[in-house]
Amino acid sequence: MVFRSTRRTFLKGSVGASAMLLGAPAFLRGAAAQNNDLSPYTSAKIDWKQASGESITVAVIPASYFDNLISIAPQFQELTGINVRFEKIPPAQIRQKCVIDLTSKTGTYATHAADPMYYALYAANKWAEPLDRYLNDASLTDKAWFNFDDIIPAWRGADSVDGKLYGIPYDGEVTIQVYRKDLYEAKGLKPADNLEAFVANAAALNDPGNRIWGAALRGVAGAGQNMYIYPSIFREFGGEWFKGGKLTVNGPEAEAALTWYVDLMRKYAPAAAQNWNWPDIADAFSQGTIGAYIDAHSSASVVNNADKSKVIGKVAYARWPKGPSGKRMTSIWNWGFPINAALPDKRKKATWLFIQWAASAETQARTSYKFAGPAKRSGVNRTSVWKDPAYIKLMSSFGDNFVEAAMDSLQHDTDVDWRPRVPQWPAIGDTMATAIQSALAGQATVKTALDDAQKRIEPMMKG
Amino acid sequence: MLTGSGTSMDAPAFISSMDAGRVLARRERRFASALLAPAFAALLATTTFPLLYLIWTSAFRIDLAMPFTNGFIGIDNYRDLLADSRFWSSLSVSMIYTISTVVLQVAIGLGLALFVMGMKKGQGLFRLIAILPVVLSPAVVGMVWRTFMLQPEFGIVDFLSINAGLGSQNWLGDPTLAMISVIVIHTWQWTPFAFMVLLASLAALPDDIYEAARIDRASAWQRFRRITLPLLRPAIVMVVIMRTMVALTAFAAIFTVTGGGPGTATEILNLYAYRKSFTELSIGYGSALAVALLVVTIIISAALFAVRRAK
Repeated sequence: MVFRSTRRTFLKGSVGASAMLLGAPAFLRGAAAQNNDLSPYTSAKIDWKQASGESITVAVIPASYFDNLISIAPQFQELTGINVRFEKIPPAQIRQKCVIDLTSKTGTYATHAADPMYYALYAANKWAEPLDRYLNDASLTDKAWFNFDDIIPAWRGADSVDGKLYGIPYDGEVTIQVYRKDLYEAKGLKPADNLEAFVANAAALNDPGNRIWGAALRGVAGAGQNMYIYPSIFREFGGEWFKGGKLTVNGPEAEAALTWYVDLMRKYAPAAAQNWNWPDIADAFSQGTIGAYIDAHSSASVVNNADKSKVIGKVAYARWPKGPSGKRMTSIWNWGFPINAALPDKRKKATWLFIQWAASAETQARTSYKFAGPAKRSGVNRTSVWKDPAYIKLMSSFGDNFVEAAMDSLQHDTDVDWRPRVPQWPAIGDTMATAIQSALAGQATVKTALDDAQKRIEPMMKG
Repeated sequence: MLTGSGTSMDAPAFISSMDAGRVLARRERRFASALLAPAFAALLATTTFPLLYLIWTSAFRIDLAMPFTNGFIGIDNYRDLLADSRFWSSLSVSMIYTISTVVLQVAIGLGLALFVMGMKKGQGLFRLIAILPVVLSPAVVGMVWRTFMLQPEFGIVDFLSINAGLGSQNWLGDPTLAMISVIVIHTWQWTPFAFMVLLASLAALPDDIYEAARIDRASAWQRFRRITLPLLRPAIVMVVIMRTMVALTAFAAIFTVTGGGPGTATEILNLYAYRKSFTELSIGYGSALAVALLVVTIIISAALFAVRRAK
């Protein structure tokens, strides 16, 4: 996670750079649209000024998609009279810092960029406000204007616990197959439709002597690293996290899934990939040494970075391969905004107005394809923006089938419970990450690693 | 104090010289304690209180993921700890790490010190170069080793290994190699400390004993074994004690290089306590682990101090 921010910052920068090169007219149109016109907001039938004079602090990670928001935040202040201050905290620390703020009830951060897997923890401790009442209050939200249902359903689901909404997605990602079109064509291969074919493709391309490895997946241990990809494989192999109401991480499906992952990584990935996170994989791919990988759609901007990449124009995308269960299961992520429950009422309202503004279609567009700066976001939160021709044009420069693969995955391949969403997630995620890595490194067999993880997780779930 | 001085000034005639002396001494003591008080209070507040609070916390179940289960549980955390296989494995990792790094530091440091003592020229330059790793932050050292030195295919160590015919190794991906790597990193950074201390002690050894030994035709090995080592013993024991305490509580370098991985291969006790507290948010149990580390450190240091006093 440490690298995520810097890499993302850089990554989003390159989105913009390529957009400038490839779509100068679109860029100019975007620049013209960059203005301080508040009319798209004032058309909402609410009193934006109702919390005027309040001050709120928002914790975000240093990443260009938040930088874009920060740079147009003066418009929000003008619209509402609310003072907003941003604090940038690296992703490796933001969870801990915000948990400490929430648990001590100091209300330092009115809202923060939240890990969707933490909402269950927030809800269990009543640290965050259930947002339905803000959404349904006509004095606070113009439902028709805000059009909440337009926000990608998979991300909305991820930010809810037991049907209650705790965060509003701002930016997100979905994992897809990224592969070398040229290498696949030369060998007559097709993008994998199932996991077996993915391994077969990797085997066909694997040629370490000539510095080409078949495939790579995240190897480094972490709840947001290897435990971001493995759950998709586990679910594709027919695994269920809750068997008879009990969290189960071992068993035949888990063993089959972890064996598939370990075999693929040992046979067809570079040895160093055991310690790789997604930026390392995307770097290696852009140097032409990897045949295919499965990771976030936003990594496309790294492999399309004109300064570094040797594979521009040779990249294509596809949805996750199907597992033995016949299912495709993508890993999804979003940074959403919750409301800190320790705030006084008026400040909660101010915070909601901020969240509503940030997640609105207009702000999403103004921080994406309408943004005047070079870095334009690729993880906008709304279906309508994903269907906007200006956005599609910006995104399709990344390679064949990019928008289609990402959109189909978001619509058809998600399941909100692809990871076990419980308050104990931080502990479970870390335990599983360690187990997966110890199996990969050969410190334990697949079965012992999983059985041991199960033994450690059981007492965590007991009251 | 004010009234005291007032009285003595009002009635100087009734106070004998002895009384005056006692009053003065008492005043002196009070003044001294007044001067000491702020520092003492600051010390209490910043070290003793957190320590007691840590021990107090370790008697509770504080699990942020399940707030409804929190409460006083006495020694249950310690009972769990004794039955926790990961505690024992992290303790043994800590032991292996500490013993091997301390032995290597003293052995290499002593070797270097003897070598430098015999150098006619360039001692100053050598000392300057040797001290460089010590002044670096362990986190920086960790990042440098992880990226420049140990990266398969591109790292310097791997480059040397390939050229030496050993082939490319996955230095941080293999459990044994990862353990060796973190030991080497710690040794690389801290050997200069042992080297400097031992060099200073060597320089202070009296020449006449060696002269006498030479006249008696003692071999170089005999001189080292019978004279240098016994005379250096206090310095060596001191280095061992200081380095042991630091190695037991090491954190930053391992955290940045392997994060305790692969799996739990390099997870020292300190790192396990950190993960329990701040990643798994199980603060009570994490505190118990930290107290256990404290106890282990105290026992080992006490044993080493006993060795130092003996003889």
